[in-house]
Amino acid sequence: MNVRIVWAGRNYDLAASLPDELTLPESASVDDALKMLSGCLPHNRRLPGTCLIAVSGTHLGCLQSHRNQPLKDGDELLVLWPVAGG
Amino acid sequence: MTHARKPSMSTAALSPEELTRYARQIGPGVLSVAGQTRLKNSAALVSRVGGMGGPAALALVMAGVGRLIIAHGGRLIAPDLNRQLLGSERTIGQPRAAHFADSLRSMNRLVTVESIDHEPTDREALELTRRVDVVLSCAPTFEERLRLNSAALAAGVPLIDAAQWGLTGTLVAVDPGRTACLRCLYPQPPEFEEMFPVIGAIAMATGAMAALEAIKILSGTGTPLFGRLWMIDGHRGLSRQLDLQRAADCPCCGPSARPAATDSRRP
Ligand SMILES: [Zn+2]
Repeated sequence: MNVRIVWAGRNYDLAASLPDELTLPESASVDDALKMLSGCLPHNRRLPGTCLIAVSGTHLGCLQSHRNQPLKDGDELLVLWPVAGG
Repeated sequence: MTHARKPSMSTAALSPEELTRYARQIGPGVLSVAGQTRLKNSAALVSRVGGMGGPAALALVMAGVGRLIIAHGGRLIAPDLNRQLLGSERTIGQPRAAHFADSLRSMNRLVTVESIDHEPTDREALELTRRVDVVLSCAPTFEERLRLNSAALAAGVPLIDAAQWGLTGTLVAVDPGRTACLRCLYPQPPEFEEMFPVIGAIAMATGAMAALEAIKILSGTGTPLFGRLWMIDGHRGLSRQLDLQRAADCPCCGPSARPAATDSRRP
């Protein structure tokens, strides 16, 4: 199945080096997708645990503490690096 | 369903001058006379009033929110002028709060503007929040955002959080005790980047949208963003809304929540 990826918030410029779609096994979960996405990051870069995670418009928590759930074909996985500029 | 709040002040009617002043925003598709009257009798706290809070405060003043309290410390410096529209070249080097308040007053003498020349402490945030009907969190740090979140929850006042980085912005509206609060989203404060990059246009857009949410909540117009996060990615020209989940163990709005803490840094 294919899952769209939206990388947003702080350091969104990193998305230029990330895929905007992942191809995953049919039984894949959010954590499987996040693991694959982490492997695509440039060397020495990692996602902070405070990133918000959402699937197809539903917030699941933050990277370090979120609900894991099965994905389905056509889902959109959003990873939002929190922003605080004023 | 509307979310108009009980006015914090009197329920004074609109004067003929006010009816003329706000004529373009009273009618079908915008505010009712009753909604405009609610704005007149409402109060809002905006902390701080830089790139986002400045445009937000300006929009609230122009819309006729009766009483505005702004908080902002420090003096205006040249790099602020790419986004802080309440400043000007004439006020570089001057304390921001007083000048920003004057700038707001110059736009609408029919409303009252109070200013505080520093970032509110825990105790001040709670005291200020108890005097208003809505809080706009437009601060540059998560520490201050979470402080305003705690105060808003303790006072039972809606909170609108506006934030940005680069060409992107986020907006969250919290209906205290009913929808996810900022602490539900950020159990641990994310790291703070003091010299965050910013294009003024996205800061102003996000601040203006925060003001629109406040106007809706105060006047009882439309559907507030409560329980959702709106992400606006100006870099790629896309936006998303997320349905936010409350954290069952949230220390601020969960069953174990206690009243907002106070600190002793300032009276
Ligand atoms: Zn909460």
